[in-house]
Amino acid sequence: MAKPTGFLEFTRELPYRRPPQERLNDYNEFVDRYTPEKLNEQAARCMDCGIPFCHHGCPVGNIIPEFNDAVYRKSWKEAYDILISTNNFPEFTGRICPAPCETSCVLGINQPAITIEEIEKHIIEIAFDNGFVQPKIPNVRTGKKIAIVGSGPAGLAAAAQLNYAGHSVTVFERDDEPGGLLRYGIPDFKLEKWVVERRIKLMEEEGVVFRCNANVGLDISVNDLLREYHTIVLATGSTIPRDLNIPGRDLNGVYFAMDFLKQQNKRISNKAVQGDDIFATDKNIIVIGGGDTGSDCVGTSNRHKALSVTQFELLPKPPENRTSYMPWPTYPMVLKTTSSHEEGVKRHWAIATKEFIGDEDGNLKALRIVDLEWKFAHDGKPAKFEEVAGSETEIPCELALLAMGFIHPQHEGLLEQLEIELDERGNVRASEKNYHTNISKIFAAGDIRRGQSLVVWAISEGRECARKVDEYLIGHSLLEAKDQNILHKI
Amino acid sequence: MANKGLYNSKFEHDACGIGFVANIKSNKSHQIVSDALTILENMEHRGACGCENNTGDGAGILIQTPHEFFFDECIKHGIHLPPYTKYGVGVLFFPKDIRLREECRDIFNRTAETLGLEIMGYRRVPVNTDGIGPTALSVEPEIEQVFIACPDHINNPDDFERKLFVLKNYATHTIQSTVRKDAIGFYVASLSYKIVIYKGQLTSMQLRNYFPDLSNKKIVSAFGLIHSRFATNTFPSWKLAQPFRYIAHNGEINTLQGNLNWLRTSEKGFISQFFTKEEMDMLLPVVDESQSDSACLDNMIELLTLCGRSIPHVMMMLIPEAWDENEHMDPAKKAFYEFHASFMEPWDGPASISFTDGKLIGATLDRNGLRPSRYCITTDDRVIMASETGVLPVDPKLVKEKGRLQPGKMFVVDLEEGRIISDEEIKSKICTQKPYSEWLNKYKIRLEELPEPRVMFTHLEHQQVFKYQKAFGYTTEDLDVLIAPMALHGKEPTGSMGSDVPLAVLSDEPQHLSSYFKQLFAQVTNPPIDPIREKLVMSLATFVGNNGSLLEEDPLSCHCVALRHPVLSNHDLEKIRSIDTGIFQAKTLQTYFIADGKPGSLQRGIERLCRYAVDAVMDGFEVLILSDRAIDSEHAAIPSLLATSAVHHHLIKKGLRGQVGLVIEAGDVWEVHHFACLIGFGATAINPYLALSTIRDMKISGRLETDLDANHLKKNYVKAVNDGLLKVFSKMGISTLQSYQGAQIFEIIGINKQVIDKYFVGATSRIEGMGLDEIANETLIKHFFSFSKKNIPIERLTVGGLYQWKRKGEFHLFNPQTIHLLQHSTRMNDYSVFKKYTKLVNDQQEKAATLRSLFQFKNKRPSISIDEVEPAENIYKRFATGAMSFGSISWEAHTTLAIAMNRLGGKSNTGEGGEDEIRYKKLPNGDSMRSAIKQVASARFGVTSEYLTEADELQIKMAQGAKPGEGGQLPGHKVDDWIGRVRHATSGVGLISPPPHHDIYSIEDLAQLIFDLKNANRDARINVKLVSKAGVGTIAAGVAKAKADVILISGHDGGTGASPMSSIKHAGLPWELGLAETHQTLVKNKLRSRVIVQTDGQLKTGRDIAVATLLGAEEWGVATAALIVEGCIMMRKCHLNTCPVGVATQNPELRKRFTGDADHVVNLFKFLTQELREIMAELGFKTINEMVGQVDYLERRENITNPKYLKLDLSPILYKEPASKFTGLFKSEEQDHGLTDVLDWKLLKAAEPALEKKEKVRQSFKIQNTDRTTGTILSNEISKKYNAKGLPDCTIHFKFTGTAGQSFAAFNTKGVTMELEGDANDYFGKGLSGAKLIVYPSKHAGFVPEENIIIGNVAFYGATSGEAFIRGKAGERFCVRNSGANVVVEGVGDHGCEYMTGGTAIILGETGRNFAAGMSGGIAYVYDVQHNFDSLCNKEMVDLDLIDEEDENLLHNMIDKHYQFTNSTVAKFILNDFENQLKNFVKVFPKDYKRILTEKKKVVKVK
Repeated sequence: MAKPTGFLEFTRELPYRRPPQERLNDYNEFVDRYTPEKLNEQAARCMDCGIPFCHHGCPVGNIIPEFNDAVYRKSWKEAYDILISTNNFPEFTGRICPAPCETSCVLGINQPAITIEEIEKHIIEIAFDNGFVQPKIPNVRTGKKIAIVGSGPAGLAAAAQLNYAGHSVTVFERDDEPGGLLRYGIPDFKLEKWVVERRIKLMEEEGVVFRCNANVGLDISVNDLLREYHTIVLATGSTIPRDLNIPGRDLNGVYFAMDFLKQQNKRISNKAVQGDDIFATDKNIIVIGGGDTGSDCVGTSNRHKALSVTQFELLPKPPENRTSYMPWPTYPMVLKTTSSHEEGVKRHWAIATKEFIGDEDGNLKALRIVDLEWKFAHDGKPAKFEEVAGSETEIPCELALLAMGFIHPQHEGLLEQLEIELDERGNVRASEKNYHTNISKIFAAGDIRRGQSLVVWAISEGRECARKVDEYLIGHSLLEAKDQNILHKI
Repeated sequence: MANKGLYNSKFEHDACGIGFVANIKSNKSHQIVSDALTILENMEHRGACGCENNTGDGAGILIQTPHEFFFDECIKHGIHLPPYTKYGVGVLFFPKDIRLREECRDIFNRTAETLGLEIMGYRRVPVNTDGIGPTALSVEPEIEQVFIACPDHINNPDDFERKLFVLKNYATHTIQSTVRKDAIGFYVASLSYKIVIYKGQLTSMQLRNYFPDLSNKKIVSAFGLIHSRFATNTFPSWKLAQPFRYIAHNGEINTLQGNLNWLRTSEKGFISQFFTKEEMDMLLPVVDESQSDSACLDNMIELLTLCGRSIPHVMMMLIPEAWDENEHMDPAKKAFYEFHASFMEPWDGPASISFTDGKLIGATLDRNGLRPSRYCITTDDRVIMASETGVLPVDPKLVKEKGRLQPGKMFVVDLEEGRIISDEEIKSKICTQKPYSEWLNKYKIRLEELPEPRVMFTHLEHQQVFKYQKAFGYTTEDLDVLIAPMALHGKEPTGSMGSDVPLAVLSDEPQHLSSYFKQLFAQVTNPPIDPIREKLVMSLATFVGNNGSLLEEDPLSCHCVALRHPVLSNHDLEKIRSIDTGIFQAKTLQTYFIADGKPGSLQRGIERLCRYAVDAVMDGFEVLILSDRAIDSEHAAIPSLLATSAVHHHLIKKGLRGQVGLVIEAGDVWEVHHFACLIGFGATAINPYLALSTIRDMKISGRLETDLDANHLKKNYVKAVNDGLLKVFSKMGISTLQSYQGAQIFEIIGINKQVIDKYFVGATSRIEGMGLDEIANETLIKHFFSFSKKNIPIERLTVGGLYQWKRKGEFHLFNPQTIHLLQHSTRMNDYSVFKKYTKLVNDQQEKAATLRSLFQFKNKRPSISIDEVEPAENIYKRFATGAMSFGSISWEAHTTLAIAMNRLGGKSNTGEGGEDEIRYKKLPNGDSMRSAIKQVASARFGVTSEYLTEADELQIKMAQGAKPGEGGQLPGHKVDDWIGRVRHATSGVGLISPPPHHDIYSIEDLAQLIFDLKNANRDARINVKLVSKAGVGTIAAGVAKAKADVILISGHDGGTGASPMSSIKHAGLPWELGLAETHQTLVKNKLRSRVIVQTDGQLKTGRDIAVATLLGAEEWGVATAALIVEGCIMMRKCHLNTCPVGVATQNPELRKRFTGDADHVVNLFKFLTQELREIMAELGFKTINEMVGQVDYLERRENITNPKYLKLDLSPILYKEPASKFTGLFKSEEQDHGLTDVLDWKLLKAAEPALEKKEKVRQSFKIQNTDRTTGTILSNEISKKYNAKGLPDCTIHFKFTGTAGQSFAAFNTKGVTMELEGDANDYFGKGLSGAKLIVYPSKHAGFVPEENIIIGNVAFYGATSGEAFIRGKAGERFCVRNSGANVVVEGVGDHGCEYMTGGTAIILGETGRNFAAGMSGGIAYVYDVQHNFDSLCNKEMVDLDLIDEEDENLLHNMIDKHYQFTNSTVAKFILNDFENQLKNFVKVFPKDYKRILTEKKKVVKVK
């Protein structure tokens, strides 16, 4: 630790962000870089804790104190080496991660946490600027062929790692570009698509083969895959959205969030949009669901110049600060105001939608809603609700976006053909210890196995799964694993 | 002794009182013998007795052969003795069993016959067994004297003496290998024509009566040499009593194992002109290794003396002065020492030795001078030398001189010449008998003078460095946490908060071999040394090459390369590799094995290496370089420690080790501990090429932020290693690298017996573990990581995770999950969450961190209901929190713990920082911030009479888990006004805690301190804190005999204090081992019922406490867990003052962030107790007492699958020492502290009016050396009544006449004046708390007071206030750690005013060396008439200033008082010529102190 007293001298500062009024006019990212001095100060705040809770809180196990120190010393290559030893895609997580590391930062006990996510982004972008990020092409190929189905963060991470181990990796993607939700789920204003493309290009140079528009189970037979490849990694994500089956669900103007968001991403990339155009322009928008996807819908709707944007959440309004039920270093369910919220939204909590009300043309015109009263369990979590009598009202709405999460992977097609074993939640059954499904050649990683989760978890799963695949194929592995010394099992 | 438990007889220690009385003119008399016995009897308190009061540890006397007496006696047996010198007398211990006895006698007789010696007859020595304890009697030998005629053909009595030596050794060897051994055995106490020894397992008081001979008037001698033993064991053994044939030894040989190894290696080549080849063979082995260290030393002296060197010469060889780097030493003497050092390593350890060859008698002190030796010379030609003064009453009028032996000095009475020979004279005679200096110039090779090497070393480039780092197991932590700070700052890095990682043998991570080796350290039986402040005694010099011949004076013995320190740069190594003097060359051997992973490959590699080594020695090489540079994908490096030790022991076995130096060129050596292990197992010098290359590489790659160049950084690193090594040696009390070499001062945990017996011969390893193939495997994992055939680009080393928790690193018991759950459960008062926490900690099935995790409870009977278990309230009082000082942790954190413990009825601990008296008052809500346990540590911060009086328990900290054997330092910036006040120090001035207690250099000293503290507070329990290590059980037995009430066994892993990283990781053992050993040993000695045994060290759960109880602890300490409950998140930055949660910081801003709450701490202990009680119910225990030591309720866990754990043999820990039903297994009887007859009861009675009504009292008393700790009970009573204020000045004035015992006026408080006419022993005015002391010699004394020693060593240790006036000189370490007393004295010994932080010392005479070392406060004025003080003062921390006006006044005032009180002639002279004499005064002014005083003055002026 270069500066033992840094945390006493500097406080948390985020880089300059373009103001909402300005950024609403485009779909570009709006967060600037730190000045070199600011970056140095922010890194200097790290206390290099005896127990770095951040490092524990980070799903990929980023060795945060070490890279903070390297950043402080402006040792950029070293910082990059440290970062890349645990995370294949820091340029993604540096932009869109909810940063569980920061909520478990020790400084967070009584001070604002270190800006770990920003520092991560700076390390990788500086590495790109300085040309440290070069394709790493394995010298020797093992002759083992691996198919990875799905090119989201889990599939990409597994592909990158397995390729480093010398295996020949082909990634199958049913869409027209690789990247999964990174490509067509997350809005550009949070993650500009050149960032994804830059990484894909690099992986291609390293030898990973991408086959897009290739829907395994539909366009490509599963059996061909099983015959041709030594191992298959399933990483198709958790794609089936949670629906809201109430009267009026089939009205025009009620859509899943992902349909809305994907269209906008395609538009920006000048790609053809499938199905009806969904626009929020000049409409009253209601986003049902208070999570990150909902937030993305809010941001996109505002850029569409919606008349109004409202967001509903079933659960009660969370507290603004930690309570004794959610002590540091747990991930706290506190009120979160995202950058999209800053851009303008009405937020309602403890509210339930009873009915979509349409006009005579079958177009949505309003929602019937009711207030809820919640009861809390002894652990402080909301447990039960009752409708507040007499609180039912209608609220005008021409576009309702359902952003209530995803329930499990798509079963039809690939999974059904494989007759693969699923768990009770409908995800592919494979343990976090070995990522192995009940079919000997097939592994699973990411949301398909774990259920809907964060990009950083998907990367973690892809990496850990890759090590298990390598061990499966070779007997042992020198791929990094997050909770184990690389020297184990040599 | 074969043993199933952890006790091993080789761990035994002893210490003692020694002395002699001699008539200088060699006039023999019975009075001398009788006087010697009186001396012995007056040192009763320095000896000890075991479980019975009438079984002693041993006492004896050595006298000249009383010819007249024997002649008479023999006539009675029909033997007509020839004249003196023509016959020898042996004192033989025979078995009681008649058959065994006669077998022994037959062999003895036959051996004599073989040697051509005629046995004239035997005399049964009459003994009187009245009052001798049953334990001693159970193994009492049959003592007989044998008379052997000198054959006619031998004219020289010395030749006859040599014959007797052969007879003694050969007969003993033969009998030991032939006759069945019983508990008594056969032993030759003495066999000589000159001397005879009477000794046995007796107390000092019993010796005279046991041997009626000794009272026979015909027993006459010109001297009597006596010894009284205090042993840590109580197993009866008569032959361990001293004196031995040549010496009486008070001390301990720390380096014994190494000394014996070196002796064994040279034994095979022994040649002496005084013995035939055949006789030499009969003599060997010279040393019987099963005996005590002192006995081994005696054997060595016997051999060297009989091979032609004089006994003073031999003493100089074995116990040399500190000569290395001593520029003041006479060149001839220095040459003598240097010459002998090249083939004889010191027998190192604190030692005061009285020696005699029958013709001269003398005494010597080791270089540290840590044992007292006082002498008195009388006008009637007597010399009395003893551990104490006043042991033989002498009419003051007859006293000619009173002195003390100084460190490294010798004192000889030549009875033949009839005079005392001074140290200078005897040494100068010996040093000039051979041209040592010429020999050195001719043959000694100095590294600096060697020619440039043939081939230059080439650097490793980045990729190679990286590859080697991987192959040898470097981690990023090793680079950043260890190597970088060493290179940048030249110092070993510091860490905090102990260690909670698995023992090496339990870890899943591939280990460095040295991680299985734990450094041993000194506690109680010998003192550690301060290698910084007392570096004048330390030496890193080492010699590479042939040791030459030990028995002859051969110039070629010094033909070797002399190194100033053992770390070789690459350039140095190449010089040595290229060396060729014509008769001196080096050979490089590659230390590799085939990396095929097959069983036996490593063994084959080692065997080949050993073979090559032998060949190389046979081929005449003087240096072997073991190198692991030549590794490749197929060949892995043998761990350097294994290679070194294997070669070292193989060469010892072949008798060749002495012929070569072993230089290690190794990649796997980077931290201090690695170097220490290599040296400890035989390496002569080490080239850490990879560590050096790593530094260069880090510099080039910009990883080190510095302007220093690579060479400078490497120099810094070498300096850090060297300083670190000194610290490692000194924590064991060893001063020189030479004696550390091969001394194997380690305990090994987790390596099996086969490996130990073959490659680490003689090392301690008690629970088995890995074999060679497993070691090979751990090496290969790293090797393959480096030489992988895979193509994955790995850019990083592995992360380590030892010093910081890391996901990919080592497992830690305190990790994010456990800390969170512990904090959450105690804050929410939720036991169910706490159980989640304990489950995570207790369940170590997959990853074990502790030995206890390998145990499971064994249900031996039906469970009981938890309601039947004793209530929690009974159990709370058995808990204590750890000793953490106010200063190391914040006021908030410290008082919260105290409040919580007081609410529970448990005990909190002050730590070593004193205690603010505001804590003695209860808070309005009834809470109390007073800590029940008051610690007494080496620095004695704030240890006043009041502080001691306010305690329920007084804890003597002998060592602390995080850094046993080391001192500490509180930097000035942490000493704010508050902490300064509580510690009786000046704010802003740094405070040093010395490594040893300067009043505990041995076990009898500890007994004295316990006695002192018991006097200071009779109601307090005395607790002695020890750290777990091999042999701690034996030490604990000694401590129990020293009358401690509580013994705390601390685990190595606890400890919250700041310590060097290598100490946190590599010193000390887990408490499981230490506790089990302690309990077993105490039960074995029947001492367990006298003491409470307490344990601490990372106790985290109720299960931990249950295991501790079953292993033998009835009380427990919890520190780290309690701190975590207070909010600590294991930042491990305590030493930086930046604790972000306000626990371990004094920064007021950070302290505000403290969120701890006493309620949470209370919850922790409630939960711990609840879990403990659940376990008790399950096992069927109703009370803790019935549970203590019931180790059969534990067993090895069944479901162990990890193959590494399966190799451990836990049975020694789980061994239950058999005990009869009368043997107590927990504390059930009170110690007899011996306070019933102390002088203080009389004082108290006399002081009644003062105590009750503050009336003035004045009275006189007689005093003698057995009156110890005088005035302390009195002061305790004053403090009870009047707190720190005490009584008004001079309310009580007591006068004493005679010789005061140790600790005169210790902790005496305000209002008391103690006047002593006579002299005093050690620890005079210890902890003085306000009293006034006046001492002057007897008014009738014939000597000049200012030239004689009046008070002993370590006077005013830890004094906090008061005044003293001493007419005459004081011994060593005067005013050590004085923080407030103002004293006048007329001369002091070495190390005066060491570590002083306050007060004034006026020295009206000479000082010894190293004055003011570590002195950070207070002022000393030295009357330097000789103008040589400058060279005697250690000026690292002090300035020598001129006297200013303020000083003048102070000096005049104090010297005037001195004159008034003592009638000092020096004072009178100075006062009469004050203006002139002022010029002779030097003011010793600590630099920091001066700075702070100046700043404060400025502040006052501004105001």
